[in-house]
Amino acid sequence: MAVLGGLLKAGASFCQSAATLLHTARTISTGTCCQIRMHAIPQLKKVDRWTEKRSMYGVYDNIGILGDFKAHPKDLIVAPCWLKAFKGNELQRLIRKKKMVGDRMMTLDKHNLEKRIRFLYRRFNRTGKHR
Amino acid sequence: DFKISANIVSLSKFASSFPGESALPPNLLLPTNLVDPARLRRPPPPADCSLPLLRKCDAVVPAHLSPVQTWVETLARLDGEPLGLAQLHPDVFAVHPRLDILHEVETWQRNYKRISHASTKIRSEVRGGGRKPWKQKGSGRARHGSIRSPLWKGGGVANGPRGPTSYFYMLPMKVRVQGLKVALSSKMAQQYLHIVDSLNIPSPDPQYLLDLIRHKHWGESLLIVDVGEEFPENILQATASLKTVNIIPAIGLNVHSMLKHEAVVLTLETIKFLEDKLLWHDQRYTPLYPFKLPYSDFP
Repeated sequence: MAVLGGLLKAGASFCQSAATLLHTARTISTGTCCQIRMHAIPQLKKVDRWTEKRSMYGVYDNIGILGDFKAHPKDLIVAPCWLKAFKGNELQRLIRKKKMVGDRMMTLDKHNLEKRIRFLYRRFNRTGKHR
Repeated sequence: DFKISANIVSLSKFASSFPGESALPPNLLLPTNLVDPARLRRPPPPADCSLPLLRKCDAVVPAHLSPVQTWVETLARLDGEPLGLAQLHPDVFAVHPRLDILHEVETWQRNYKRISHASTKIRSEVRGGGRKPWKQKGSGRARHGSIRSPLWKGGGVANGPRGPTSYFYMLPMKVRVQGLKVALSSKMAQQYLHIVDSLNIPSPDPQYLLDLIRHKHWGESLLIVDVGEEFPENILQATASLKTVNIIPAIGLNVHSMLKHEAVVLTLETIKFLEDKLLWHDQRYTPLYPFKLPYSDFP
């Protein structure tokens, strides 16, 4: 149908009288099944901006500067122990996890971890432009 | 915005019987950063004021700058008469409004604690899928090696999020200190910073605090900062039930909380503490080892 409209448009450029008869601007899709059907505009979800967590967010982030450097904001992070105050790509994270937690992991998880480390090492260091 | 919604309610009550053009539509969405026009613009204290100067700057003020003068108010009475004046150090409360530093510190505060636990299984971790489903040639179907490849329904994800990821990084200490100074200066410049002599309230009723804020036109949300580990019981009880009025110790001051709450209240001891901590970084030596290890001249 779109092809036909295109042909008609091309044909109309030759005869200007036919151009006024053809209004071939379709702004909607003519797909068969529309998966999302709505009977009304959905209401905005109501978010409470002043919960305990939201109003106290970020408190004690400057505990080092304002508190005599006895603590560091990295002590506040709630994370698995191999990710506290650490940022790295996937291979670095997995190696750190194996170093720190590897001996108390389940056998299947440890096996998958070792396979993934082996795959990523070969991928990063033997393939591609950067090696 | 309780003031704006009060106007809407009064107008709609009036206009319910008269369907005229003054009726506000029920689904009206106003921008949330409208400033209350009834907010009193008290001018900064003039030079020849009769009220006593309650606090002078302890640190040395540079010769080309003059201290910032503000009113010192009280929470004990409901009327809005200031008690006296206070002088604040310009290098903490009158720095240039560096919005880029505020943005940097705010994004750091949001991201350095962030741990994303989004995780998917790859084709080798999904249960099953070791056997070739049908032989390579002859069956007429497409060739496949396992039923858990990313092409299959129920198969592994090829390039999905992998395990808990961390977004930790640290900004330089002086940038974080400058962020605090810029935030305090911005609050002072926009007249959202209020100084109070002490946090003693006559009653532990939260309604008293709300009436006080409404009467003085301080804003919608209030952040109260005080030095020391113990606060008066009245104010603790009053702020415990209120959502938009929060009290934190001075060690917990940070840029995100200052931006979230519209008005900030500091006590005189808090100002001394903050000036002491924030001005030290202007004239310190670069650390040879982390500051948490003992230095001979730094407590």
